[in-house]
Amino acid sequence: MQSRLSVAVIALAVAASAAAQETVKIGVVQPLTGPVAYDGNIYVNTVKMLVDDMNAKGGVLGKKIELVVEDGACNPAQSVNAAEKLVTRDKVVALLGAFCSTSSAAMMEVARKHKVPHLTAISTAAQLTEQNNPYFFRAVATTPMLGAAFGGELPAAVKGKRFAFLVINDDWGRSMVSSYPKPIEHAGGQIVGTEFFQSSDLQFLPYITKIKAANPDAIILAANTQHAVALSKQIRELGITKPLIGEGSWTSDSYLKLAGPAAEGVYGLVEYVYTIKNPINAAFVKMSREKLKDNPSKFAGAAHNAIHIMVDAIRRAGAADPEKIRAALTKTDYHGLVGNIRFNEKNQAYGQDVYLARVTHGVPEVVKTAKIAKP
Amino acid sequence: MLDLAIFGQHLLNGVLIGCAYALIAIGLTMIFGVMNIANFAHGEFYMMGGFAAFYLVTLLKLNYFIALPLAVVLVVVLAVAIQQIVFKRLRDAPVMTTTLVTIGLSILLEHVALLLWGPQPQVIPNPFPTRPLSFFGIYTTPLYLFSMAVTAALIVVGHLLIQRTRMGKAMRATFQNREAAALVGVRIDRVYLYAFTFGAALAAAAGAVLGGFIPVEPTMGGVATLKAFVVVILGGMGSFVGAIAGGLLLGLAEALGAGYFSTGWKDAIGFFAVILLLLFRPEGLFKRA
Repeated sequence: MQSRLSVAVIALAVAASAAAQETVKIGVVQPLTGPVAYDGNIYVNTVKMLVDDMNAKGGVLGKKIELVVEDGACNPAQSVNAAEKLVTRDKVVALLGAFCSTSSAAMMEVARKHKVPHLTAISTAAQLTEQNNPYFFRAVATTPMLGAAFGGELPAAVKGKRFAFLVINDDWGRSMVSSYPKPIEHAGGQIVGTEFFQSSDLQFLPYITKIKAANPDAIILAANTQHAVALSKQIRELGITKPLIGEGSWTSDSYLKLAGPAAEGVYGLVEYVYTIKNPINAAFVKMSREKLKDNPSKFAGAAHNAIHIMVDAIRRAGAADPEKIRAALTKTDYHGLVGNIRFNEKNQAYGQDVYLARVTHGVPEVVKTAKIAKP
Repeated sequence: MLDLAIFGQHLLNGVLIGCAYALIAIGLTMIFGVMNIANFAHGEFYMMGGFAAFYLVTLLKLNYFIALPLAVVLVVVLAVAIQQIVFKRLRDAPVMTTTLVTIGLSILLEHVALLLWGPQPQVIPNPFPTRPLSFFGIYTTPLYLFSMAVTAALIVVGHLLIQRTRMGKAMRATFQNREAAALVGVRIDRVYLYAFTFGAALAAAAGAVLGGFIPVEPTMGGVATLKAFVVVILGGMGSFVGAIAGGLLLGLAEALGAGYFSTGWKDAIGFFAVILLLLFRPEGLFKRA
């Protein structure tokens, strides 16, 4: 009796420890508070939804996937602490995230130190993939790559030659101004004005009036929701009816809702838009509308890419081992939401589609698709 | 070549923004002049005026023209509470203490707004047609004209209140000499309450009116406070007329400076002016009221 009981206890203990190992832990660091909390939450909710779906279909390597989410608040120090905690305490085998490039840059050093693969699908600062960090991967095109893919198409798309820039005064806006003109000029266009606005600005009348004086055929902008709403309204209010072409949140539901009629006819240069036509996207949009009651934004698209690429690598690695997953990531050849994604020798993604979408009756319709060339 | 339509557009932009600066700065300069408080939470009243109007229009489905004054009333209620609970106790505290309290208050109000209403910007729906109006190539919208008219009207009303009413007289007396005013029977606590709530009301009105084209979001108060301080220093601390002139001056300087010099220096222009002024004419462009 005694021995039978102890056998049962041991069996139970073994089963329990086996169950504890039955999950593959993936750590996520995103801003859940702070200025970009809205978009960070979209990313996290989307990843959770997709992981639930994967687990319902059997998980990966015969185990369930377990997400451990931490708030990085778009703050480098907090993101580093979050990543440290995920790796050392939760023992995650892979890291997803950081939204803001500065946070990703800080976080990737934690990944390097603990030799854990780290994938971002949002941070676009070009220098992130120039750090010779073999553990860091980026599954999104940088602004220069978008510029190279689309700059040459713009004169034909808007049937104009004269372009003016009105962009935010940071890495992003500045890299746009340095990378778009060359392909635009190559395609017969010219740049007639460049203005930088501050992130604290919400009234842009002086900038817009100055741009108006240069009489462009189209205005190229870099802005996220809050600025994009004010910009598009104020540009129309000063009587400029020329096309607007924007990188950033120009096709997101929140922008379209807030900008209303001022969003009509706006062009968005985006990595993902929910109206693209392929079976993977159709299923994704359906699931998002059912579970999250919203059309997926570009950050939801980024979440879709990130989790699928990581789980695909874990599957090919054949073990929940960070070093094997890293090796598998370098050989990624993923066919998903936005086409084919591979990584170059610097772990920068290429081969995926990017889109020029035009807002028609409040819906962003794809008018042109381009492929990101191998950098 | 000077394009007249573009020049006129810059002028109009400058006046529009200048009126808004003036409206926010009047409250700040009054609170400083009468109560001797450098109120760093002033911009938060501007922000809350915007949010109050937004929720009155969207949640309660109130008429836009009813929601605007009602939003001001809501912010006034809050201002009365803050004055009675916080600043009344600090009446005799040194300036440094009250300044630190206003900084704390500013951080508190901003983060409460972030918690309650989230970080996403909101635009107050309004009944005005969005189609721009054009006069000789200068563009504006009915909403811009409306906000210019409202800010101008409020400035005039504020001026009359201070110059023509008993309470205005009491405020001016307190401003000149608090002890002497108290000696002749002016009720200082009440004067303080009126000055503080009147200032908050003007800031809230600016937030509610401008929220139709400048998105309302929790962090907008900080920049507004800074600009208002520039205006107040330009016009002379405590000067009502100075705040109006300083507001218009800053609005025009920013618009024309951005238009004909460089947009990159837009925000620096005001601060350069302040540094020069403090060096050469520290009492401000206008003598104290």
